[in-house]
Amino acid sequence: MLLAAVWLLLDPEAGGGDPQAAVQTSLPGLEPATAEPSLPGLATLAPDPGTVVQAAGPFDDRFRFERLRFGDGQVSGAVAVTSDVSELLELEVLAGFYDRDGSLVGTGRYVHHLDEATTDPGHEGAPAETHPFTVAVPDELADRAVAAAVGVPVLVNE
Amino acid sequence: MRARRRVALAALVSTAALTMTTAVVAEAAPARLGSKRIDNVIYLLGDGMGRTHVTAGRDRFYGASGSLNMERLPVVGQVRTYAVQENSGQPGAADFVPEYVTDSASSATAWSSGVKTYNAALGVDAKATVMPTVMELAKQAGYRTGNVSTAEITDATPAAQMSHVLARGCQGPVYSAASCQNTDVTGGTALPTSDLRVTPVADQIARNGTADVILGGGLARFDEADERALVRQGYDVLGSPASQQVATGSELQATRSRKVFGLFNRGNLTIEKFKQENPDAVQAEEPSLPEMTRKAISLLDRGRRSRGFYLQVEGALIDKRSHANDAAQTLEEIKAFDDAVAVAVDFARRDGHTLVIVTADHECAGFGIVERGTFTNAEATTPPNNVDSGNPANSSTTPVRTGQTKDANRSTGPLNGAGSGDPENFAPATFRTADDPPSVRDGSLEAGLWLTYLSGNHTGEDVPLFAFGPRSGALAHTVENTDLFDVMTGALRVSRS
Repeated sequence: MLLAAVWLLLDPEAGGGDPQAAVQTSLPGLEPATAEPSLPGLATLAPDPGTVVQAAGPFDDRFRFERLRFGDGQVSGAVAVTSDVSELLELEVLAGFYDRDGSLVGTGRYVHHLDEATTDPGHEGAPAETHPFTVAVPDELADRAVAAAVGVPVLVNE
Repeated sequence: MRARRRVALAALVSTAALTMTTAVVAEAAPARLGSKRIDNVIYLLGDGMGRTHVTAGRDRFYGASGSLNMERLPVVGQVRTYAVQENSGQPGAADFVPEYVTDSASSATAWSSGVKTYNAALGVDAKATVMPTVMELAKQAGYRTGNVSTAEITDATPAAQMSHVLARGCQGPVYSAASCQNTDVTGGTALPTSDLRVTPVADQIARNGTADVILGGGLARFDEADERALVRQGYDVLGSPASQQVATGSELQATRSRKVFGLFNRGNLTIEKFKQENPDAVQAEEPSLPEMTRKAISLLDRGRRSRGFYLQVEGALIDKRSHANDAAQTLEEIKAFDDAVAVAVDFARRDGHTLVIVTADHECAGFGIVERGTFTNAEATTPPNNVDSGNPANSSTTPVRTGQTKDANRSTGPLNGAGSGDPENFAPATFRTADDPPSVRDGSLEAGLWLTYLSGNHTGEDVPLFAFGPRSGALAHTVENTDLFDVMTGALRVSRS
């Protein structure tokens, strides 16, 4: 015991003999997440009525938006992944909705998650690169939202 | 420095308490294995690299009678790759439920943590229990550790050695419930976001110090807080997660730090074929896999007085370009991976105490080599004939097939085409081999190597294994991918029990 204590004192990274202690379960300085992902850029945008603009996100060099449209109580379009031809594991499209003054009044999100445990038996062949999405305007914003911005805070290909 | 302190301490204690030092010296000094001890383990895998990938690479670059570097290794085996379903027990248990085709996460967890798990899991078993990894155990025991990949470093294969998450999509830079939680393995209840198993991989890598040398891609997964955490631990951070400035090859060449974090692309590293064809492009400045491997070894190897090192090297883009059915790019990635194998083996030959293991996690896309001048089922009007009226014993009831002809509407003929951009592009892609005359061109009927794909996804094949060095003979069999954990931990004299 004395030896082990001296050993660890001189070499704290040795970690003793407990294999489970090899796993660092606490991460110094890391604050646990308290909310779903956001895009700070949404608050700085002021799209014109009837338009959809793109909000900056961490993966903007991996995809392009196609067929963006705002109307009929929703914002819609498609995410064309340009970086990979593989299964799309995770995709979140965060939409901000704006009033006539260009103020952000609310958000909604489209979430794609590939559950590898429940593979679609109809899925065959190479994965698609383009993924359509729709985000409905929240009911409470139906009378106020006249424009939208969209961005991607989560994107993972296999 | 740590190892020197250990040796000095062992010597000090040996003069004071002989009975106590016996075990300590055995722990501090490399164990003898016959006439050879193992100081270092280098584990290289070609992601998605099946047996046909190896053969195609050989034909392309060395010819039919040649050999890739990996094929020149003295020990040859093969690896079973199956996974299990969520909440399954391990093989032999009453609640064992296999999943016949693995993904990269489950496979990487098998050799990293020694357990079969469900597809998408990293560093946890199929019931969500955290399992220590070879790299963590090696680090704990005082080995230096390195993790090199051409993928994002948060991608499944490198992540499996230095993180524990329920879902491989939980990569970062931010948490999301959809990408990080899996209530099917946590009793129907989401875990608190403080739980390691739902903490994004990037946040874990940046703070747990599991790997001393981290080289690859995926800078976009890391942020300013991650950079601060890395610097606090003493890493030489090449480039900057805070500013999203990627690391450069020259920075890698210059560093001599004991701990290095270098990500050379915001996403996966750039494919070799593009760099070869665009030598002036900024991407061509990214270090290649053999260059990263050579540098990682030089940073990790501290000579005989050190405890040794454990290094994992992944050729990730073999898989990613196989998903795309792009044989031209896949072949170049196989070559780059094989060149990295040569770097590792060259070191091992000089060192004499290094175990080198070369294998794959699974096969990708049902890669096939077909006879020159033939066509594939995908080009045919019907599958091959399976009715033998002369000898009915040759016929089975399922499927019943008639004659086979090529369907012009499904075949361009042999042509290295643009994938789904051409709906008739089910024909083999053709490539000249090292045996072909110089006049033969890729994409021609004269080219010797005709390559096909079964799908755009993984298959359930066993994968090849090659090995060199002390204890490598233990791998000259068909082994489970979980057996690789036992071999590597045994070689490093660490244990999870």
